[in-house]
Amino acid sequence: MRRVLAVTALGAAACLVVVRLFVNTYWDLLVSALCVGYTSMVLFTVAGNIRQRWMPREAMQVLAVVAGSLVGTVVAGFVKGRNLAQMFSERLAGVTITMGLGIGVGCVVVAAVLLREKHARDQARILKGEAERHQLEKSVLEARLALMQAQVEPHFLFNTLANVQHLVETDPPAASRVLESLIKYLRAALPQMRETATNLGRELDMARAFLEIHQVRMGTRLDFSIEVPEALRSRPFPPMMLISLVENAVKHGVDPCCDAGCIVIRAREAEGQLRVSVADTGEGIRPTNGGGVGLANIRERLKALYGSSARLVLEENAPRGVVASIEVPA
Amino acid sequence: MSASPADPSAPDGGRVGAVIADDEPLLRAQLRARLARLWPELDVVHEMADGRDVEGVLRDHAPALFFLDIHMPGVNGLEAARAIGARAHVVFVTAYDEYAVQAFERGAVDYVLKPFDERRLAITVERLKERLGAKPPALDALVESLAARLAPHGPERLRWIKASVGSSVRLIPVEEVLFFQSDEKYTRVVTAQGESLIRKPIRELLEELDPAKFWQIHRATIVNVDHIASVRRGLKDQAEVSLRDHAETLVVSRAFTHLFKQM
Repeated sequence: MRRVLAVTALGAAACLVVVRLFVNTYWDLLVSALCVGYTSMVLFTVAGNIRQRWMPREAMQVLAVVAGSLVGTVVAGFVKGRNLAQMFSERLAGVTITMGLGIGVGCVVVAAVLLREKHARDQARILKGEAERHQLEKSVLEARLALMQAQVEPHFLFNTLANVQHLVETDPPAASRVLESLIKYLRAALPQMRETATNLGRELDMARAFLEIHQVRMGTRLDFSIEVPEALRSRPFPPMMLISLVENAVKHGVDPCCDAGCIVIRAREAEGQLRVSVADTGEGIRPTNGGGVGLANIRERLKALYGSSARLVLEENAPRGVVASIEVPA
Repeated sequence: MSASPADPSAPDGGRVGAVIADDEPLLRAQLRARLARLWPELDVVHEMADGRDVEGVLRDHAPALFFLDIHMPGVNGLEAARAIGARAHVVFVTAYDEYAVQAFERGAVDYVLKPFDERRLAITVERLKERLGAKPPALDALVESLAARLAPHGPERLRWIKASVGSSVRLIPVEEVLFFQSDEKYTRVVTAQGESLIRKPIRELLEELDPAKFWQIHRATIVNVDHIASVRRGLKDQAEVSLRDHAETLVVSRAFTHLFKQM
């Protein structure tokens, strides 16, 4: 619709300009101009939307305008009550001029339209690039925020303190051991106390402190071991990820099932990747179980830190339970 | 006056039978020790590590009072309270639960916070002594509102896909899946990292997945909306979906193109 209006306006304006150069009346010229204009416009639009591969879209559109001018001129002739023979004999000059003007004006218009389209495309591409950059910046920020917010669960803290409270009265040395573990854990877990650069050794100490506390609380229901070569302890490792896996293993693995469960933390290096895994013999994952938020968080952070060269993998443990592994470039 | 052992309103010679349920042995011992000091007439007749077998305990010990930890594995304190009904008085014990405490403040039931505050526990004991003379209140409404606060979940949805990779079974969170596509006998599960085959057909997946996140766009394809990068008009009345982090494009058949109209 906008195109029809534009062509009408352009035709009228062009006729105003050229009417002085010809003997024809303004209306006569306008009929010719509009016939040429509309025909070219229709063919131009069609050419722009045809799906074909043997010619660039732009060339197709220029051809359409040339063809439109030819056809339009003939149509204008018919409208004025002339036949083909007349047009190409006595009125050849007029016909040629109309066609020439149609092609000339048409090409200028086509060039303008194509330029505008290209500009719009560039603009869209720039916007898309910016949107992608913003998306990336956003996910990096979110990952950082999630790390800052990873907090000590109040339920865990108060339950542990209740245990300490009881042990102070009944078994003071045990109370002091639990407090020591709690302090070690809090030092690593409280965002304000957390060091930004950390290594596997420190993360393992934190996991051990956490598991020791749980062992006091859960008694014989929880057993654990850490099987990590001494040499790997100094390797850099992102903070708060291992503890998330260990927390999951206790909370969703061993705790829900009522008999005893075991958690094993292992680390090894192979093919330039450091792989740290937490295996439990607990309840295992039911297909409809939740608990994906912490894991999604780890995935986001791994992606922000290492791109595609790090990953989090979850597998079923045999005969029961889950193995969660984090792989980062060594 | 002869008192039936199952009637909590007639304590036997002033003695009151109580049961403590907590999954942490040390905390059971602690509550037991505190109660012994504050309430010498109270007999802890039984201890439980979870809320199972409330019936058996009621039958064998006929306690007038239950101390129930809310968070216990297996059968938790709320489920146990539901099972007890109005057959005994209940005191909830919790380490920290903002919502739970809010609910208690308005309820007829008492609660104790861990770690125990001696004075707070003494007040609870006084209140309980008064209440034991009356019939235990019906807890249904409170328990339901607590349960709703503690576990706010909608309908159960498929969250994990189990797929064999070599000799192990990989657990893939559904958020990671870009799309599912049926491939003769199997269903392809495609993620940014790779793909695997499962036996569950598209039709079943469709019933179990969250319909807000997973859209069927073709007889053979379910796509994860979160991973769609763009949708293009295609041949005939079809459309084409391209994905983030993946080269393959997916065909939207005519029957499903309406999903993408006006977006």
